Amino acid sequence: MTKHPSEANLALYAGGELSRWRRWSVERHVAECAACRDAIAQFSALREQTRAMAELPDVDWDSLAAEMRANIRLGLEAGECVAERSSPQHLGFSLRGVAACASLAMLLVVSFLIERPAPRVAELKTDEAAVIETSGSGIQVKEGGRAMMLLNARARTVEYQASGSAMGARYVDSDTGQVTINNVYVQ
Amino acid sequence: MSMCSKWITAAFAGAMALSAQDVPFDPHSSIEIKLPPDSPVALLSTNVRDSGATPRGGAMVIDLHMALSLRNSDSRTIRGITLLVTAQEVTAGGKASVAVPSLNVAPGQAFPVRIDLRLLRPLQAGAGPLVQVSLDGVLFEGLDFYGPNRLNSRRSMTVWEMEAERDRKYFKSVLASSGPEGLQREMLNSLARQDERPHIDVRMSRGGRSVTSVGEPERMARFAFLKMPGSPVEAIDGWAEVAGNEARTPTIQVLNRSSRPVRYVEIGWIVKDRQGREFLAGSVPAAEGDLLLPPGQTGRVLQDTALRFSRNAGEPVPIGGMTGFVSHVEFADGRVWVPRREALSAVMAPSPEEQRLADLYRTKGVGAVVEELRKY
Repeated sequence: MTKHPSEANLALYAGGELSRWRRWSVERHVAECAACRDAIAQFSALREQTRAMAELPDVDWDSLAAEMRANIRLGLEAGECVAERSSPQHLGFSLRGVAACASLAMLLVVSFLIERPAPRVAELKTDEAAVIETSGSGIQVKEGGRAMMLLNARARTVEYQASGSAMGARYVDSDTGQVTINNVYVQ
Repeated sequence: MSMCSKWITAAFAGAMALSAQDVPFDPHSSIEIKLPPDSPVALLSTNVRDSGATPRGGAMVIDLHMALSLRNSDSRTIRGITLLVTAQEVTAGGKASVAVPSLNVAPGQAFPVRIDLRLLRPLQAGAGPLVQVSLDGVLFEGLDFYGPNRLNSRRSMTVWEMEAERDRKYFKSVLASSGPEGLQREMLNSLARQDERPHIDVRMSRGGRSVTSVGEPERMARFAFLKMPGSPVEAIDGWAEVAGNEARTPTIQVLNRSSRPVRYVEIGWIVKDRQGREFLAGSVPAAEGDLLLPPGQTGRVLQDTALRFSRNAGEPVPIGGMTGFVSHVEFADGRVWVPRREALSAVMAPSPEEQRLADLYRTKGVGAVVEELRKY
């Protein structure tokens, strides 16, 4: 078996971001290495989750941009007023300083809008069909921007099976020695 | 830096620090565990240590790790349990179940059930518990059942228990004829078969809608069928729409060869890739309440889903062929048929009991398996 690729290369492979030569080299290795296959599966699952989480709330960018322009204009005008009355030595409230203040204030507004609990998120893509998928870590049902995943914690090997409207994962729990059968259903 | 700039920098840093903080999360109030008043199991304790919530962008990731301790408060030995897990606020139509078959819990004994969940939901949450856990069913020795059976766990657990009885009987006969060495060979073979089974990722959507744009022309592919000796039902014809690595709307015609009416049949579904490697894709079950097959009559089993197969983190597995086999049958009187052990092929999954015993051998050796078989 060839040498294990680095974690960075496995992560890039999972995202389809390796060069053709590196990709070929990693493919050759993972064909024989279950551990690296698992690592890639985990990176892919993580990538999927990150993608789902990265979706931003609906922000009205046009009105936000207009508001930002208006605030910057206001800042510049205020700066001009101050500049007329001040001597050139008073750099604390210079035009550049006010413009910088306005930009930072805008940055705060944008970061607050992105981070704050936005009620609209609750309506994210609810018209999307629910999809169930398996990954190295469990079975996930996704619906719009929401997801529920039953994790295969403490499993050595997992048997996945689709049956009707359900996807099942069966494994032996390494803590209890019990067989656990997880099923996730979609309507 | 002027005083004004310093204030702005401080305010900016403060705002960033606030946005990165974890939101308060109480796992106990996020979970509701409901057992009926006459439940044959009692909840002794719930451990939610290691649970937590992390905000990510406009959403929240919640990891719930529940270790439940239950006690058999009935007078019969428990053979299996199924818990229903719902998170209505997260997925309106989604639900899940956690089943533990192959149990041997005597009256008064405690046993653990673990539920590990990850939820992704908007930051703004409604009031009330996020996850509800309830009892769907308990199977006792002798195949007696208790529970609301909303997920048809009675049938699933009966099938698992009958397979368990079949496999324990087989391993006991090996032990009697070939001793611990013979049993050890069986366990090693079982572990090797489990390790050799190809691991496939499956993506499923309802309604037979495509889960991806595969870009390959669609064709109607026919099923080949494995004969299962002694099966009361025979699969006589079947097809599915196939395009690349995606199969849609499998449909199978079945004939009741027995003298008793059949109310449910499940067809195991083996998919072969273009290199000839076979893997168990799943099963095609009859829709609940749709099938009542009198003796000698034919019926149709249809699954309105689209399945996409991949391996190695997204590499598509193009479908070259499909094989079906009758995996279990339920008669109108509730009795269940499962295949004989000698009819099973390597591509079929081992029973949960075989999986448990093989794992017991792997961790504790053949002596533990012998001791375990003596308990039944």
